[in-house]
Amino acid sequence: MGLMATTGALGAGIAAYQNPVGSGKWNQGDIREWRGIVSAEPYAMIRTRDLGGGVKTALLACQGKCGASAKIGAYEGKRLALKGSLIARNGHAMIAVSEDLDWIREDRAVAISADLAFPDPVPLGEVSLVGEVLDTKCWFGAMRPSEGKVHKACAALCIRSGLPPAFFAKDDKNNKTLLIMTDKFGPHGDSLLPFVADPVSIKGQVYRKGDLYFLDNNPDSIVRI
Amino acid sequence: MSHDYVPVSWTPFKKRFDAWLFVGMALYLGAFVLVTDFAQPANENFTPIQLMIRATGSLAFLMLTFILCIGPLARMTPRFKPFLYNRRHLGVSTFLIALVHGGLVLLWYHGFAELDPLVSLFVSNPRYDSLAGFPFESLGFCALLILFLMAATSHDFWNANLAPGLWKAIHMGVYLAYGLLVAHVLLGALQFEKHPLYASLLVLGSTFVVGLHLFTAFFASSTQVRASASARWIKVGRISDIPDNRALVVQPANAERIAVFRYDDKISAVSNVCRHQGGPLGEGKVIDGCITCPWHGFQYRPEDGCSPEPFTEKIHTYSTKIEGNLVYVARKPNPEGTKTSPSLIRKEPV
Repeated sequence: MGLMATTGALGAGIAAYQNPVGSGKWNQGDIREWRGIVSAEPYAMIRTRDLGGGVKTALLACQGKCGASAKIGAYEGKRLALKGSLIARNGHAMIAVSEDLDWIREDRAVAISADLAFPDPVPLGEVSLVGEVLDTKCWFGAMRPSEGKVHKACAALCIRSGLPPAFFAKDDKNNKTLLIMTDKFGPHGDSLLPFVADPVSIKGQVYRKGDLYFLDNNPDSIVRI
Repeated sequence: MSHDYVPVSWTPFKKRFDAWLFVGMALYLGAFVLVTDFAQPANENFTPIQLMIRATGSLAFLMLTFILCIGPLARMTPRFKPFLYNRRHLGVSTFLIALVHGGLVLLWYHGFAELDPLVSLFVSNPRYDSLAGFPFESLGFCALLILFLMAATSHDFWNANLAPGLWKAIHMGVYLAYGLLVAHVLLGALQFEKHPLYASLLVLGSTFVVGLHLFTAFFASSTQVRASASARWIKVGRISDIPDNRALVVQPANAERIAVFRYDDKISAVSNVCRHQGGPLGEGKVIDGCITCPWHGFQYRPEDGCSPEPFTEKIHTYSTKIEGNLVYVARKPNPEGTKTSPSLIRKEPV
């Protein structure tokens, strides 16, 4: 009986002090239709009114560990409807597109307006930040927890497979900001992978495209702390 | 003992033991899941698979830590003997829990991509040149392989049919596996979970395992008779030093230990190593006229080192003599199963 009580107490004690895993959510079974226009550069994205609160941008991914840029193809810039489930955390959104054959279709009923178009990048200045490179899909809610050493290999595999990397910056006052990472304003390559999930300092240029914030950075400038 | 191989030699005690083992594992996993759910902030929680990865990984590590403590603890107190006799079931259960942990990791963290999950396990984190950044998953994989080999060869069939040295080497691999798992936890979970409880548990647990082994090694050696390499006869001690139906263990230099038993006013000596799984016969006792191994109950006749029929195991016997009230044992073993006359203890006339 004593051994049983110790066993239960150990299970409870070890479970009690784990780090918070974050508020991301992915309702994988809730496949909905999202209307708007899409782009494959630098990563697959959709501008849509269906996220609520006016026009917003959601990143796109496939159901597994892969990006959706290659799927956009001829649909670049067109009005369309696509099927997918929402992954969301703290105002960040990603849509994991359906694997059905009819996952995307042109939809001329989507109302055109100036704010629906992908805006030009607005430079916000050079920055030097401290934080962690992670992958957007897991951090948005596909994985909980989605940070740190235990998730390092998964995050690197996601980024290697085409999912957008992001920089999770923390300042002295523990303010946190998520910036989607680009290299020369395009997708990052494998040279970013060794730094994933390590505490690093990073230099780069912050820019905004609509409601999304990006950090353009050369991986050679990343330094482990 | 050696004639029929059945998957598990069930006894009522083994069934009760396994039932309690199952209850204990379920209790740990249930408590882990419930408390995790309760302890996380509102509307935040682990994905179910990641929760089970944590629960099974920590359970497997704790079970292996406990298993490694059983041997030394059983030498210190008989309360741990039931665990010793059923350590095999604990070991196989630990492997199965670790297998679930490893399988979920492979599926969840390394699956759903074009890259083969097993390749991803070794290449997704390329920092083999760093200690803090080391791909700890590879250490866990190697430990799981060792546990698999141990579980797969744990049956009596393999014990009897693998060369004894090979079987022993495979099963001594548990210490390598444990070392790999300590590093796996240290370079993995502890790099993320910084609460002092986790580091404390790891340090205390692994230090306890090492300390217990060192202590019992010293404790056991202090109760053994050590003998030099030259003499033909080794002085064991006084007759009264050997408890009735028990043994004193002699450690000759550069040779196998000898268990010298006193029973029925006789003295006999046999090899200290049980043919079954290398159990310490000198820690057993004479039951129904047979030396009985404390690990799994294998029995040998003291006079000839043979298991009673229909069993066929044989161990070395040793000649003995009594001079005055001192017991001596021959350094050189007789061939396995050789009938050797016991020395008779003459009672002093009253």
